[in-house]
Amino acid sequence: MLETRSIVRRFGRTLALDRVDFRARPGEIHALIGENGAGKSTLVNILAGRLRADAGEVLLDGARLPAGSAARHPRRARIAAVYQSPMLFERMTWEENLALGGYRAGASPRELDAVAVRARTAAAQAGFALPPPRAIVADCSVAARVRLEIVRALSFDPRVLMLDEPTSLLAPAELEIFLAALRRLRAAGRIVVIVTHKLAEALAVADRITVMRRGRVVAELPAAHASAAELARMMIGALPEELRMPPPAGAETPAAAPALTLERATLARDGRRLLDEISLAVRPGEIVGVAGVDGNGQAELVELLAGIVRLDAGRVTPVPDAAHGAVAVIPQNRDRDGLVLEMTLWENLLLAAPVRARFIRRGLIRGRAAQSFCASLLDRFGIRAAAGPAASAAALSGGNRQRFAVARALAAAPRVIVAHDLCRGLDLAAAARVHRRIRDFAAAGGAVLLISTDLDELLECCGRLFVIARGRLIETAAADRDPARLGLLMAGAGA
Amino acid sequence: MNALIRAARRPAAASVIALGAVALALAALGASPLAVAADLAAGACGNWIAFTDTLARATPLVFCGLAVAIAFHGALWNIGADGQLVVGALAAGALGPALSGWPHAPAIVAMLAAGAIGGALWGGLAGWLRARRNVNEVISTIMLNFIAAQLLSWAVHGPLMAPAGGFPASRKIAAAARLHLYFPPSRLNLAMAFAVVLACACQLGLFRTVAGFQLRALGRNRRASAFFGAPIARLTVGAMALSGALAGLGGAVQISAITHRLYETISPGWGYEAIAVALIARLSPLGVVPAALLFGALDNGSQAMQRADGISPELVYVVQALAILVLLACDAAAGGGWREMFYRGAPASAEEGDDA
Repeated sequence: MLETRSIVRRFGRTLALDRVDFRARPGEIHALIGENGAGKSTLVNILAGRLRADAGEVLLDGARLPAGSAARHPRRARIAAVYQSPMLFERMTWEENLALGGYRAGASPRELDAVAVRARTAAAQAGFALPPPRAIVADCSVAARVRLEIVRALSFDPRVLMLDEPTSLLAPAELEIFLAALRRLRAAGRIVVIVTHKLAEALAVADRITVMRRGRVVAELPAAHASAAELARMMIGALPEELRMPPPAGAETPAAAPALTLERATLARDGRRLLDEISLAVRPGEIVGVAGVDGNGQAELVELLAGIVRLDAGRVTPVPDAAHGAVAVIPQNRDRDGLVLEMTLWENLLLAAPVRARFIRRGLIRGRAAQSFCASLLDRFGIRAAAGPAASAAALSGGNRQRFAVARALAAAPRVIVAHDLCRGLDLAAAARVHRRIRDFAAAGGAVLLISTDLDELLECCGRLFVIARGRLIETAAADRDPARLGLLMAGAGA
Repeated sequence: MNALIRAARRPAAASVIALGAVALALAALGASPLAVAADLAAGACGNWIAFTDTLARATPLVFCGLAVAIAFHGALWNIGADGQLVVGALAAGALGPALSGWPHAPAIVAMLAAGAIGGALWGGLAGWLRARRNVNEVISTIMLNFIAAQLLSWAVHGPLMAPAGGFPASRKIAAAARLHLYFPPSRLNLAMAFAVVLACACQLGLFRTVAGFQLRALGRNRRASAFFGAPIARLTVGAMALSGALAGLGGAVQISAITHRLYETISPGWGYEAIAVALIARLSPLGVVPAALLFGALDNGSQAMQRADGISPELVYVVQALAILVLLACDAAAGGGWREMFYRGAPASAEEGDDA
């Protein structure tokens, strides 16, 4: 049994964990749920030995674990964790990454081949695919990296496997297989702890659920006795009325001229078509969704609309150029593509050319004015930064970083917003607020292209819905607006 | 003002710790650290000549330090300030003798322009290779250093060699092209003041202009810069050309004020020492000035120290290197910002809050 007793942890003046008692039994899948800032990740980090508790203790099968031991001796402690943002050696191949994990292999080609064989076996048991041989991690999709992390965690043959929001980047088809894999791990007598904000998932897969709120455990109950509504109420209280959304206006098409048009846009690399004759029009006032399994051309589509890559054939109107700001892009990987972590928030705000243009006088940047604007933006969007606009972006938590990226895109007052995984790392209430902002933007005449793997989000927000599979874009009919049918299309059934 | 003091605290502390460590080593070897320090200080600024000599020695370090700081802000690791300084000196030294009969001010401007253009071409070449052909600028600038040195050697042995001499040096530059020395034999001249003005301009350019902002963003996150439409190729070539121009100016003022002609050994390695200067200054253009003065003083004092105490001047390099190591170590402990630029492989994930 994995057990914590009265764990306390502070960050500065914030009490992140307040006398937390947590218990997970062998042969059970235990879901840990809670809002942003509830303390879930902090607890996982303490269990995994990445953080020290200020007080309290961690016991595994009755034996006390010295602080930090799980991180120093992963084999002995047998607690493995998969984190929300993949922690892999980006510039190495995935086999090398796994060799550095529990397989403890050398770097010779033969040893790496052996690693690959073992990894494929483990991945096959868990039910998912691995990248092609010797692929560099940096070139893999986000979902592929999450899968790699899980395989690496399993390579330690852990007693306890902790997964921090592991499914947020998995496709529906993969999700089922993955949840089945978790059940298999449970059958093997392991302790599986899954951190999630998706209530349905917690209810579907977990045996027991622990609910956290503001650093405290507010409830621990068997999943069989819980309902989604009850859990949501425990997590956040009831969802505020103003955040409840009417369903989107069906598939009707506004009459205005499109704000963004793609005509047979094609992008090829090494003879493979990453984008294959994509045609799409987004009109003012419209939220258009693109569903798809990660790695089917979404990243390329976003890069194309940001003006980073050039088309091989076809046309995009307006011509993508981030320096002009008709289109604001919210990239999927905000730390890599959306923020300069070492720079301050107000400087990050000025990365967007249209915002920057407002704070230039006689060729010089007016730092003070930009800072006060940034402060008002942080305030308006509820972004918590201890040092205000002068805080470095790195000092923000992931959820706050995401809110900042959204706030900046809206502040740029573009005609079109292209958002890839709009609510990555946000919990229910925060996601609802972001959706609200995006809807307001559309209602005021903005055009939105929402690219996501989260079907619930797309079905809730989007008027027209497309599916992207192997670089091809298919428009869905009203009859397709159903997760199962969309899942089939995403797997390429319609292509 | 407070911000200034805060910015200077760590580098100053690092220098003191480095000096202290060397003092301990000297004491252990049986020498008196105090006597050595006194001789070092006397050699650096004990009298008028020593003091002005320190200024003169620090001047090229300011130019090259600025060159390095600007490029490093864009994560362009310009190791080639030395070569850029040499090419700038070569251009100015080649032009200088032809300026006889010119009025003083235009001749000086022509000398500076020649130096800046020469250096800009040399630095811009590395920038172009980086932007268009993706050639690592560390390698290209080091290679260009060798080419510049050989170019200078060939020039002073060949086409530019003074007719009567047999010594590998060029003809003297025209009198009009020489920067005024105020109190000969001291080498006090306007170049240091010019360097300080440039430092202020660089500070303004980096932190207040759009191009400077974009360059700093580029250096810290290339992909995000691309996502927000920064003109990456233009910034790369421009920053490297500017960097080269600054180093080239350093070469030109050296010819104009101090040597008045080209020698094979025009640079004792300023371009390399400038990397240390820029690091101690933590890439702050204004910080480059005091850092260069410190290094110039140590260089200058080291010779007096050798004469008086028989201690090899290399001891001073030990102090300089130690100061940088101490500073890097301090910054590591504090998780300081620019340091992360040197370890860009790992994305910074200093997530403090909880975000599930």
